[in-house]
Amino acid sequence: MRGVAVTGMGLVSAIGNNIDEAHRSLRNGNDGISLPEILTTNLNDLPVGEIKLSNSQLTKILELPKDHSYTRAAMLGTLAINELLSNSNFDQFPEDTGFISGTSIGGIDMTEEHFSDFIDKPEIRKYIQAQHPGYTTEKIAEYFNLKGVITTISTACSSSANAIMMGARMIESGKLKRVIVGGSDCLTRFTLNGFNSLKILSQEKNKPFDEDREGLNLGEAAAYLMLEADELVGEKEILGRVSGYGNANDAFHQTASSENGEGAYQAISQALKKAEIAGSEIDYINAHGTGTVNNDLSESVALKRVFHDTVPEFSSTKAFTGHTLGAAGAVEAIFSLLAIQNNEIYPNLNFNSEMSETSLKPVTQIQKKEIRTVLSNSFGFGGNCTSLIFQKDE
Amino acid sequence: MSQDLFIQSSITIRNSKIWKNGDLIFGKENEIDLSKFLKTIYRHANLKYPKFFKMDSLSKLGYLGTEILTSGNISNKETALVFANSASSLDTDEAYAETMQDFPSPSLFVYTLPNIMLGEISIRHQLNSENVFFVSREFDPSLFIDYCKALFYQKKVDNVLCGWVDLHNNDYDVFLWQIALSGGTEFNEEELKKLYLPTHE
Repeated sequence: MRGVAVTGMGLVSAIGNNIDEAHRSLRNGNDGISLPEILTTNLNDLPVGEIKLSNSQLTKILELPKDHSYTRAAMLGTLAINELLSNSNFDQFPEDTGFISGTSIGGIDMTEEHFSDFIDKPEIRKYIQAQHPGYTTEKIAEYFNLKGVITTISTACSSSANAIMMGARMIESGKLKRVIVGGSDCLTRFTLNGFNSLKILSQEKNKPFDEDREGLNLGEAAAYLMLEADELVGEKEILGRVSGYGNANDAFHQTASSENGEGAYQAISQALKKAEIAGSEIDYINAHGTGTVNNDLSESVALKRVFHDTVPEFSSTKAFTGHTLGAAGAVEAIFSLLAIQNNEIYPNLNFNSEMSETSLKPVTQIQKKEIRTVLSNSFGFGGNCTSLIFQKDE
Repeated sequence: MSQDLFIQSSITIRNSKIWKNGDLIFGKENEIDLSKFLKTIYRHANLKYPKFFKMDSLSKLGYLGTEILTSGNISNKETALVFANSASSLDTDEAYAETMQDFPSPSLFVYTLPNIMLGEISIRHQLNSENVFFVSREFDPSLFIDYCKALFYQKKVDNVLCGWVDLHNNDYDVFLWQIALSGGTEFNEEELKKLYLPTHE
């Protein structure tokens, strides 16, 4: 048996507050892109993938005390892990369960909300420490009484993909037996203004891999997987296995991807090598596909370099969720596992015409076919490129 | 599965002073402010890398530490980068957030992630190798040891460049070290603490 077993998962995103809802949206082609209603911003004409639950609604759902200091990312993460817990066989997680969480924003939402009041209102000073990315992770761990290895990865938009890779590696090397891996990021004015200043946000719904793509929509989400060593799995259902992973730096630019997609090419090649499979064995690629001019071209070039004239069927699901930054890798890991469990490929929405440079055409309608092996890409600022391979347990 | 790993070399940069392999190689009697110190080391080390001047202070610290530690040459292009800090990119986050009042600055926004520093080091040395960046409350030797051992165990790498590069309110703490299968000091928690702690105030 190759790879590390995935035995549970949980998700909250703009297309659903749990896995069933998200799965239904994926099948029916219903995107979660809308104008911001929860996030207060002057950039309110820019579409986003927003979860339509306010912080006070989240507080109620999670039964947190009114004076809690959870960031939005901590609440979203807790909600997702509640689902993971409810579909695992545990009443509560064993204390030695590890927890590796990726985030790029951490608690910036609370800082930007309260910064100017810190001097006058001592009761909100608890949010000062909440800015630290590790704080969000610690609050989630505290909620579930997790006492094993707890750590936070911050490598931009590949953060949670790297958390999955690290978890798998820790299990393979015997350092951990059971670990929750994934990530959480929420919408903030900080990131919306920042991406807008880089001129890579689309005024419309994003169109990954389209010739006329204009940029990405930011999104928010939390998504987590349970990874377990085979000796602990027992009779549990295995949702899939993490059989390959690779990480490489593009070594080109702070935020842009290289023309030849070198980082992506190397990450994918390493993941295939680790999984000990040929490119032809990939049944579906859940691409990074943000919808920016730069990423989609660079990623397409990398796919051509790896797979030549036989690029497997691929789609980007970011037209559903928006780009959920540090959470994206784990969100798409769950979509990849859903593809494996249900033998289907989810469509790349809003696609009209192929890019002139590569002529690659993504899957645009839901498609039924046997899916045994999925490649999922996550690339981040700083040139951090990660590819994961998930396989059916067989 | 236990494999012996060794710290080949290390560098610490604190309080306007630089120690390489435990020896003070650069020191100002009186501490100088960070931006002046960064420029001073750049000149002192006789570096010629115009991209340096575009970087934020965190990236400059990581870049300078790496240049001096490796004498400007990372020969093994598969060298993995395993870095961490406590304050993430807070210094630049603040600077960028200030520009949001007026016109959000793209050139500051691109540095509002701590792993951009790894991108800068990778660009400089043309490394397409594996990168990871952790954010911890304080310097955590066991996290580095566990992660690096797992990397070596899987035969992913022969060399790792590790770094703790923290910067907040002009207070900086830089500790970089190289790990390999032979040479130097044994890579364990005790030795790592010994190398990290003496000059730490």
